[in-house]
Amino acid sequence: MPVFRWRESWDPLRDLERQVDRLLESLPFPFPRFDRPFPPVNLYELDGEYLLTAELPGTVAADLELSLSGGVLTLRGKRAAPAGVAEEQFRRHERVWGNWERALTVPDRVQGDKVSAEFNDGVLRVHLPKAAETKPRQIQVMQGGGP
Amino acid sequence: MNLETNGSSQVPLNEAAAAEVQSPAGERVLFTPPIDIYETAEGLVLIADLPGVSVKSLELQVQDNKLTLLGRVRNQIPANARPLHREYEEGDFLRSFILSEDVDHERVTARLNNGVLEVVLPRAAKSQPRRIQVDTD
Repeated sequence: MPVFRWRESWDPLRDLERQVDRLLESLPFPFPRFDRPFPPVNLYELDGEYLLTAELPGTVAADLELSLSGGVLTLRGKRAAPAGVAEEQFRRHERVWGNWERALTVPDRVQGDKVSAEFNDGVLRVHLPKAAETKPRQIQVMQGGGP
Repeated sequence: MNLETNGSSQVPLNEAAAAEVQSPAGERVLFTPPIDIYETAEGLVLIADLPGVSVKSLELQVQDNKLTLLGRVRNQIPANARPLHREYEEGDFLRSFILSEDVDHERVTARLNNGVLEVVLPRAAKSQPRRIQVDTD
């Protein structure tokens, strides 16, 4: 798997970069986390709410669209490429760009009208308040008197 | 391969060897952030994805010829939260690069916005040959 994209620029570097590439491939920790959906999300359950977090570095809140319908939370957004940079200027390219969309089934019993979200330092947090538990209804079973 | 055969064609920015990377954060997971590097007329620009890192929690330093970025992510998940679904782990970000003499170490600047770090690495001005006046007695 090539980690870098090769470009002929500035220097006759390519042989060395191939060596670096080989070095990186042998690193013991996951590098970089390519093989996963974008954006990666986590979902947590708290006492009063579900909390969804997503890593969205480089996104601005204005480019982020959230909607909840029929138990499906849809996240939609855009990650802009560096402005005004031609492809041949790139020496390494590991980050992903473009439009993305994810649809996630939210847990049952969420108060759809009370969902809120905040975006800080490239991390989105969506609060999904739980709906009040419906009381378990006791069903009295009567002893039949026989046919 | 001899990298120093031609002094004028050193690597401007090179990944530091993995062996030099040590976890300064104890048991916290350390990730290698994905980066882009592109070349401009003035030098190089390095962009790194650091979601969850703020200006306060980012350490960026140039020591000798090594550029190191360490971004700490503040844990914002309450302790009693029960994970139902996990696609990423929370951890800190670390990556190091070797800068060559082609980069002007003194003029390196950086900005961090929405979890994306941009480091501008200006190319050092080529030293001009200095003409030495030769006198005769």
